[in-house]
Amino acid sequence: MSEIKNWRNFRLYVITAADCHPGRELIQVMEQTLIGGADMLQLRNKTGSKREVLEQAKALRELTSKYGVPFIVNDHPDIALEAEADGVHLGQEDMPIAEARQRLGSGKIIGISTQCVEQALAAQAAGADYIGAGPVFPTRTKPDRAAVTTEYIRQAAEAVSIPVVAIGGITPDNAETVLAAGAKRLCAVSAIVGSEDPAAVCLALRKTIAAAGGWQKRLITLNGLAHPTSASRLDELIHLLGQGEKRLVAELDGTVVPRSQWARTLLSEGAKLELVHFVGGG
Amino acid sequence: MAKHESERLSKQSEPQLPGETRNSSPFSSGPAQASAGQDCLLLGGQRLHSRFLMGTGRFPSPWVLQEALKASGAEVITFAVRRVNMDSVEDDSVLQHVTERQLTYLPNTSGAKTADEAVRIARLARAAGLGNWIKVEISGNPRTLLPDPFETMKATERLAKDGFVVLSYTSDDPILCKRLEEAGAAAVMPGGSPIGTGLGLLNPYNLGLIVEEANVPVIVDAGIGSPKDAAEAMELGAAAVLANTPIAKATDPVAMARAFRLAIEAGRLAKLAGRIPKKRYASASSSESGSLFGASIPPKIPPAEGIAW
Repeated sequence: MSEIKNWRNFRLYVITAADCHPGRELIQVMEQTLIGGADMLQLRNKTGSKREVLEQAKALRELTSKYGVPFIVNDHPDIALEAEADGVHLGQEDMPIAEARQRLGSGKIIGISTQCVEQALAAQAAGADYIGAGPVFPTRTKPDRAAVTTEYIRQAAEAVSIPVVAIGGITPDNAETVLAAGAKRLCAVSAIVGSEDPAAVCLALRKTIAAAGGWQKRLITLNGLAHPTSASRLDELIHLLGQGEKRLVAELDGTVVPRSQWARTLLSEGAKLELVHFVGGG
Repeated sequence: MAKHESERLSKQSEPQLPGETRNSSPFSSGPAQASAGQDCLLLGGQRLHSRFLMGTGRFPSPWVLQEALKASGAEVITFAVRRVNMDSVEDDSVLQHVTERQLTYLPNTSGAKTADEAVRIARLARAAGLGNWIKVEISGNPRTLLPDPFETMKATERLAKDGFVVLSYTSDDPILCKRLEEAGAAAVMPGGSPIGTGLGLLNPYNLGLIVEEANVPVIVDAGIGSPKDAAEAMELGAAAVLANTPIAKATDPVAMARAFRLAIEAGRLAKLAGRIPKKRYASASSSESGSLFGASIPPKIPPAEGIAW
């Protein structure tokens, strides 16, 4: 079980795929996804040397910390530990969850890819913190794997209580279908990092997720009143409230949050938010 | 006036004037020396040409506020920090009406009852990116809105340490004003009378003492009812006057803003020009000699000494 605060609030999970953006730096592309609203990030590098993966992991750790976003390393618990990542993501053919847990300790997130309900239940029983469910659609990232279709998304969402992330061939065009099947969290790879404008794609996906309303609302206190919201981040909430155009100041749990940090500020259950501005006075 | 400036004016029995930047003593020659062009007020690192600080509350409309601001000549405006109205998506902040002008912003901490609350409001205000001035205003009583001296003291100290330019709204108590100055206030703002009452200066004697003792500008704030109160405050030696309600609630706020501007200039000029001492009995404007009716023996009168005021 992870100790990282509120990581389960994530809704848009993005995984690196450097071959999707030749000529562009990994860090720059991934920062764009964070700007667009990715709230969970995974480093997947199946071809690089361990040294290269470690360097990338350290750089992405620094980047995600800046945005307050959890960072996961694919496969390598040792690299995850050394880079101070928040956890690892395993495939069905990788090391068992129990072994990864032993290496990482209880404070890290362990996720695992699943293709059927049996795997989902086994993962939950073995102590996985979340599961990936897919590929929902045929995908360029994993061309040899048959699509599990949205039917599995429906089954997985009902079968397990840990977070389920739908993955595989998801784009802004088909995201609605996946959400309609019961998905609350989406993961996309090539549709995002292979795009000319990763931030815009992330934003589009987040809007679709928010519109689907499948997300459990958080209850926060806004200017002294109870306020249920589907927004997970401060910028999103202020936008939803239609207050984005105002010159206002936000104070979250007693601390002023500068406007430049709104997009990086997660709202947790029970948060106390004050939005103030200037009025006439003597 | 700062202590270092008091020496060259030591022959004068006038109260010292904080925040002076005059090139030469206006007391030494004609009134031209006291022209507004040379008479700036240094406050929080700013050189202010206007000694009128205007509040922005309770104006009948944003347009009237804007016009009144123009008429006032004020370079410093105050406002309050409040929760955003969630029911409206339009920007109803006071700032949108005044941002095209070159102004120094002085947010207040009204609504605060404790130093903690005032510090919190000050930090929120500073986060808006409009400078680091703050008017500490901590009310100790909802009916009189009189400032809580203990909490005001604490907040002044903390905010000054935190890098704010602190203007402390306070009771008209000379010792308290001195203590606030020592705690780091950039200016002290004794009230003439409770906020919004228009009762004018209830204790001119105290205000005079405060001015005499101060090494920071004294800005008379609160309770001003009409331009004559503002002029009186300036004649007492105040460095500036802050007013809001008497302008905003006047029948014609724009005209009243101009009246205040003129009164404050007049009061300031009068202070620099040096008024006559008060006497109990008359003294004729023309000499007795050469009177047509030839009274050669002067009337017997008691010694006419100046009355302290």
